[in-house]
Amino acid sequence: MARVGLEKINKLYGAVPAVIDVDLLIEDNEFVVLVGPSGCGKSTTLRMVAGLEEVSAGIIRIGDRMVNHLAPKDRDIAMVFQNYALYLHMTVYDNLAFGLRNRRVAEATIRREVMRAAEILDIGGLLDRKPRQLSGGQQQRVALGRCIVRHPQVFLFDEPLSNLDAKLRAQMRIELKRLRERVTTTSIYVTHDQVEAMTLGDRVVVMRDGRIQQVGSPLEIYSRPRNRFVAGFIGAPAMNFLDVTLARIDGQLMATAEDLAIRVPNEQTATLERHRTEAMTLGVRPEHMVLGDPRAENGTGFDATVVVTEQLGAELLVGVRVAGAIVVASRVDPWTKLQANQRLRMSLDPRGLHFFDRESGAAIR
Amino acid sequence: MLLLIAPAAAVLVLFQILPIVIGANASFRDWQLFNPKETWVGLAHYSYILTDRVFLTLVLPNTFLLMFASVAISLGLGLGLAHVLNRNFPGHGLAQTVILLPQMIAPVIAATSMRWTFNDQFGVVAALLRWIGFGQIAWLAERWPSFLIILFTDVWIWTPWFTLILLAALKSLPREPFEAAQIDAAGRWRTFTHVTLPMLRPVIGVCVLIRSIDAFRTFDQVWVLTGGGPARTTEVFSIYAYIETFVNLDFGRGSAAAIIGALIILVVAWTMYKAVDRLTNVSR
Amino acid sequence: MMAQATTTVRGQALATAWLAPAARAALMLLAVVAILLLFLAPVVILVITSLRPGWAVYYIYRGTAFTLQNYLDVFAKPAVVRAFINSFVLATLATIISLGITVTSGYMLSRFSGPIPRAWFGTIYLFRTVPYISWVLPLYLVDYYFGIYDTYAGILLPHIAVHICFFSWIMKGFFDSIDPSMEHAAMIDGCTRWGAFVRVALPSAIPAIAALAILSWLYTWNEFLFALILTGHDTALITVTMAQFVTELGTQWNLMSAMAVLAMGPAVLVTVFAQKYIIQGLRI
Repeated sequence: MARVGLEKINKLYGAVPAVIDVDLLIEDNEFVVLVGPSGCGKSTTLRMVAGLEEVSAGIIRIGDRMVNHLAPKDRDIAMVFQNYALYLHMTVYDNLAFGLRNRRVAEATIRREVMRAAEILDIGGLLDRKPRQLSGGQQQRVALGRCIVRHPQVFLFDEPLSNLDAKLRAQMRIELKRLRERVTTTSIYVTHDQVEAMTLGDRVVVMRDGRIQQVGSPLEIYSRPRNRFVAGFIGAPAMNFLDVTLARIDGQLMATAEDLAIRVPNEQTATLERHRTEAMTLGVRPEHMVLGDPRAENGTGFDATVVVTEQLGAELLVGVRVAGAIVVASRVDPWTKLQANQRLRMSLDPRGLHFFDRESGAAIR
Repeated sequence: MLLLIAPAAAVLVLFQILPIVIGANASFRDWQLFNPKETWVGLAHYSYILTDRVFLTLVLPNTFLLMFASVAISLGLGLGLAHVLNRNFPGHGLAQTVILLPQMIAPVIAATSMRWTFNDQFGVVAALLRWIGFGQIAWLAERWPSFLIILFTDVWIWTPWFTLILLAALKSLPREPFEAAQIDAAGRWRTFTHVTLPMLRPVIGVCVLIRSIDAFRTFDQVWVLTGGGPARTTEVFSIYAYIETFVNLDFGRGSAAAIIGALIILVVAWTMYKAVDRLTNVSR
Repeated sequence: MMAQATTTVRGQALATAWLAPAARAALMLLAVVAILLLFLAPVVILVITSLRPGWAVYYIYRGTAFTLQNYLDVFAKPAVVRAFINSFVLATLATIISLGITVTSGYMLSRFSGPIPRAWFGTIYLFRTVPYISWVLPLYLVDYYFGIYDTYAGILLPHIAVHICFFSWIMKGFFDSIDPSMEHAAMIDGCTRWGAFVRVALPSAIPAIAALAILSWLYTWNEFLFALILTGHDTALITVTMAQFVTELGTQWNLMSAMAVLAMGPAVLVTVFAQKYIIQGLRI
């Protein structure tokens, strides 16, 4: 149990920067998720904390102790790998005991710890088997067990669920959460799957091209994304983006495009008016797009043409063409009858309008 | 499809199957090379060989000893070298080239070079010994020194083969188990025995199998270095068969020797194959 | 997947190894250099000896007399020159002829399943295990019977048989690693099976074929046992010629070395210039 501090961390491969100016403080017992697309630097950052990669610049602290020059084994960390990295020719018991034996822990203590871990992870019956005889989910639990037995200060997870199929992944997510209830330790979790990030993290760190884009709780990141990238990356189906121009029409500030004129809500008018340009991108999440115009006084209605529908059973996804782009509305009643090229009246929930500067992508709130 | 292999099959039949059949046939007959009476003698040749003192106390032990020692030493050295060559260091390419040489040169040339190097009067080794003050060793005049030279030559030729294959295998190992071992505070040696070796077991098994079968039939080096001497003490199985046929001119007996050898190696190969299979399955 | 655990941050302050990392690295390098020198030594010794005039050979060292005269003397011996030519022609012919068969054989083993390929596979595998001596002794008689003893055909055909057994693997392994979907696509587009083979599979097999050609050629060039038994005066090959010179008493080692160096020539050239092909082919 300890804090982990990343101070101005940089990593260069030759002249190519992989991680740029990462500053992050992870509190004691916090579960932080690093999420982002491939190549964004999240794994590299994790590996620097583990000691598997050298830090080009910056300081890493574990428990307020600077660890830059410590070997992985001396950092009091444990890691779960994407490919489990179990020792294939050893039994599950020996896999769990390996790290402790190398550190000259007494066999009695080892036995106690292994049994405890086995009980928590429900792998007690597998202790005599070899990894090859286990299923993917079981192997991953053994990998988790390897972490628990040592009681380290920090857990590191490097995309541990990526190798599992979708159903198993969902199951393992729940197991991870339950594990967290029994074993609370500072944890850093890396994934490219935003669902994992949202469901598992106390705080989520979105990364792109080596830099941190935003840090915050899942709901914060979801409802108040700091830039266009975060807005589009988090949430599925992804947020819709329309290029609009701000204009004053009849004393009202409107976001306009080809056949679109959306009234900017009062709360956002002041900030947007102060902004230096009128070229904006309007971001609306699919669940904030409504069929019909129930509150015409909001001024957020528009006409659109149906392009495609996707039946999910619990809801219908409707893709419509407006202002030269295709946007998706979700949570539509699955029994709605719609046809391609049908003209529809739709509206936007005024509480779900995000404006981004078209050039920089920064959110304007 | 058949057309593809018809010419090949023809060549194989005529120049491999046919000779083996003829050989098998001859092994039961009184068949001198230049006086082929071809009268049936049943298992006379076989019983002669299997009770031949030379065969039992010299040829068979020599052959097996050479086989085990050569494979074991080349494997050990090859593994070590592969491990070292797995890092990138300056001169890596040069090391790679040098390692290949022994495999590409004819065994007779390698043996010739060794024979010259160990020449007890003028060879380089003799010079070195004299420089240290040791004295002369008549390498090729006695059984065990000669055997050592033969072994040395064989190891010289075949260690690179192990090195290359094991190096390729090492390079293809996933890195995560090694990183996990790092985090688990495993030292170098423990990592080697508990992570590297188990993952290499299948490859090592196959290499040992192939090389052992090959080592059994060594001929070139022994012929050039000692010809089986002195006084037949370094004879190996293939030399024994050759001598029976072309020196004693007894084709029947030579064929019987060849057949016995073939049977022995088949049994050995089969047993080893089973062992390797079990090894491979354990880690698969 | 790239291998090798990444070397981690090791601080000078916290190195716990009993030997400072720098010293350990130096020791390692020294060991590697020593071993590489060992591998190089026999070759180098031969080269140096071949450059010494006759009298200098019998005084161990301390001479700086070097000469190319040995090479000239070697070339002056018609038997030697003829042996070189024979070996060259044989190796080239054998390689060219067997290339077609081996490639198609490997292709068939890779792409087809069923009783015939399996039988073929088994046959080739079996003959890879059988010791040479078992079939080369009777081969002597077979050659006589067909009247091709001591002719090119007499040694060419057996070598082709060996090439097929030994080197079909390389092609099979290679074709195994190529996705057959490309050929299927070609066949859907109208190619016959043969057409797909020639136009799709073959072009991408060129590196493997190069490896195959090199290894086949070198095999025949270096081969000894078959040459010993199946050739006589007319088709003498260098390996045998060399061995004969060695086993005589009073060998002129300087000439011997020159001949050996010349015989090594192709191998060394290939190792230096065609390394990656060989390495590909040596893998089992």
